[in-house]
Amino acid sequence: MEPPKIWRERREKYLALGILCQECKKKSFPITQYCPHCSSKNITELKLAQTGKILHFTRVSQTAEELMFYAPYIISLVELDDGIKVTGQITDIKLEELSEGTKVRMVFRVLSKNGEEGLIGYGFKFVPI
Amino acid sequence: MSKLGIVSYGTYIPKYRISIEEIAKVWDDDPNEIISQLQVSSKSVLGPDEDVATMSVEAARNTISRWKGNPQDIGAIYVGSESHPYAVKPSATIVAAAIDAEKELTAADLEFACKAGTAGMQMCFGLVKSEMIKFGLAIGSDDSQAKPRDPLEYTAGAGSAAFLIGKERVVAELEGTYSITTDTPDFWRREGAVFPSHGNRFTGQPAYFQHIVDASKGLMEKLGTKPSDYNHVTFHQPNTKFPLTVAKMLGFTTDQIDISLICKNIGNAYSASSMLGLAHILNNSNPGDRIFMTSYGSGAGSDAFSFLITDDIEALKSYPLTVEHYINNKEEINYGKYSRFKGILR
Amino acid sequence: MSKREVYVIGYGITKFGEHYELNPSFSASQALSKAIQDAKISKDLIQSLYFGSLVSNRNGQSYIGGEASRECNLNIPITKIDVGNASGAGAFHQAFLAIKSGLDCIAVLGTEKLSDFVNSSTLEKILGGTIDYQWEFEQGATLTSLYAWMTQAHMKEFNTTMEQLASVPVKNHKNGVNNPIAQFRREISLKRFLDAKRISDPIGRFDPATHCDGSAAVVIASKEFVESHTEIERKVKVVGSAQSSDKIALHHRENLSSLLATQIASKKAYEMAQISSKDISIAEVHDSYPIGEILAIEDLGFFQKGDGGGATIDGKTQLNSDISVNTSGGLKARGDPFGATGIAQIIEIVQQMRKEADERQVDDIKYGLTQNVMGTGASVLVNILSNMEDDK
Repeated sequence: MEPPKIWRERREKYLALGILCQECKKKSFPITQYCPHCSSKNITELKLAQTGKILHFTRVSQTAEELMFYAPYIISLVELDDGIKVTGQITDIKLEELSEGTKVRMVFRVLSKNGEEGLIGYGFKFVPI
Repeated sequence: MSKLGIVSYGTYIPKYRISIEEIAKVWDDDPNEIISQLQVSSKSVLGPDEDVATMSVEAARNTISRWKGNPQDIGAIYVGSESHPYAVKPSATIVAAAIDAEKELTAADLEFACKAGTAGMQMCFGLVKSEMIKFGLAIGSDDSQAKPRDPLEYTAGAGSAAFLIGKERVVAELEGTYSITTDTPDFWRREGAVFPSHGNRFTGQPAYFQHIVDASKGLMEKLGTKPSDYNHVTFHQPNTKFPLTVAKMLGFTTDQIDISLICKNIGNAYSASSMLGLAHILNNSNPGDRIFMTSYGSGAGSDAFSFLITDDIEALKSYPLTVEHYINNKEEINYGKYSRFKGILR
Repeated sequence: MSKREVYVIGYGITKFGEHYELNPSFSASQALSKAIQDAKISKDLIQSLYFGSLVSNRNGQSYIGGEASRECNLNIPITKIDVGNASGAGAFHQAFLAIKSGLDCIAVLGTEKLSDFVNSSTLEKILGGTIDYQWEFEQGATLTSLYAWMTQAHMKEFNTTMEQLASVPVKNHKNGVNNPIAQFRREISLKRFLDAKRISDPIGRFDPATHCDGSAAVVIASKEFVESHTEIERKVKVVGSAQSSDKIALHHRENLSSLLATQIASKKAYEMAQISSKDISIAEVHDSYPIGEILAIEDLGFFQKGDGGGATIDGKTQLNSDISVNTSGGLKARGDPFGATGIAQIIEIVQQMRKEADERQVDDIKYGLTQNVMGTGASVLVNILSNMEDDK
């Protein structure tokens, strides 16, 4: 990933941020300029719940070059305790040990590496609680 | 006058372990001989998607969550390590962003072999005491490297420990700190080299033992304390035998050092080693306890600390992600997977 | 919408597969010139070229549409339409609208040269652009893994079985045997699909359509143009063409067991054609994964929601049943050169209506439908063609 992109996205990727609309009071993810529910610009930053449960999960073995070092890995649709759904990897676990509904906790991990010399992309993943 | 000391603490140890037996099998070594020599049964191994920055963030986040304070109040972040993911570009800035402490703060990565973390603690004590900052976060974190077949391979582990230094709701009051520094080439890694080199037995007596003994004695002399005044003590743990030996040399009993000995399970966590011992002690201490810590960093130097536990410790002990939690949350891997995780297999 | 009527007057298609020896523009110009020849008109009558391609202009590839038009010696406007891997149908839809708006004769080209990407990570990344790149792909999700979730959702909600899912590619490979341009012209047994290693559970090793090379082109024209050019021998009427979109990321959707964009686009297309799903005799749908076809035949209204798996295994979508689905072999057997696929689907319907489909010919076709999906359904295009000479 290129430096401006890593820099621009660091808060939302590192901290897992969404928005809370002050008009319709709905939460959403990721950060947008307008509330995707009511198009209001009256929004505030929201820190997503750090725990949730697995809705769907599967294995990924073929992926982008900068993620291949970590493959095969598990990708999951997680419903956070605040009701927001996100896509993220479940790490430090074998596929067989997971099931729908497994409770997970957000952790900070390496997402991608640009070769031996490029920047390291960090972000959130999940581990079972 | 308000107290100066540790306000909160947090740790992280990766999930993977490789046993001494598994490594010995690869090199046709006698595992029993090694285990009895080092008194270590397994070491922690970093997962493929982890590095010093991610471990530092986890330890820092555990520190903040345990403390329940505002990360924006943190005025300094220091990450001590000899295995930063970048040679140029700080781990400390990644930590700052990942705990939402940007941007009014000072930060730096520190390197002094295994004592860079405690050097960061001293810097934070100084900045807080002089009222230049309100809170400082000192982290010791390492994913130690060892050349395959080098004796270091049996113990080079991974882990991270963070301490928040401040003057509000202090849980471990700093009674004093004292350091010893000499130019002693016992262990080194040249710029660009993948693995460190060391002076074998030279790393013992003139290096590890001399510096820890001098720093520990020096601090106790300064404070007018003696080993029996302390409930718990932690030293740098390159293996389990060294801290036990140096404790004995100084006059500490096995009971005093016992809690700190995490090396048995996770090996040598380098910059995090003595700090993980301290965090584990804090979580098992009671108000009024006195704690002694001396780190050791090759090259060489030692930082000694004396702490007095306050009543506020009780509020922090229930936080679930403790050293004990991480020690027990483990998965054994074989040497093949270890090589892959470590990037030895390319 | 304007009442101008739109006809497909010619088509050209290359063999789909791995054509390492062919320069990207070779197959594109081949399809284009074949289409113009098939229309029997002078190439100078073509007013504009719309082309759809996912990877053209990426990774150093040339502007294929431009190359092809140079090879065909055309100096007309050339516009690339990007609807990800549904760019072929996207280009067709835009050309359809252009005829509706007053143009008379347009060539539409779908082309892709994927065999150059020998490192599959490169293609995964390009396909990453068809899903939510930042919050799905960079998080580690791939198109296949997201289709795995959709498959799981459908299995859970409607008790769809692995056998029902596998019966989709079994049928399509059977149909593909008789399609001369298909990449794979052989049958594959149900057992082989079921026994294959799971790459992204429940998706197995042989379930995804393969990414390959290929080009497909059609020439479309207005009724006035067709009537004033007596050299045009065959024409198939386009009675409906619609596009709809949905939230890109699956984590933003209400449920994963249907494609909202398919439902909306088909509703619009049926309305335009003034027909219902019951009137469709043949359909070319996006079976890039088995669940894709099951979702399609439900969301297009051929079967009740949840009945798609059962209908497929019971043979209700096979050749010459009530609704013949993917008579061409679908993306699965024909191969999937992204941008070319949407046009190839239309060509299959045209061939069927012109009774040129030989062993895979379906009898008594009234209406034929195509459905082309971008990514996991962020954009879906539905086209309806008619065989009725004097319909409304």
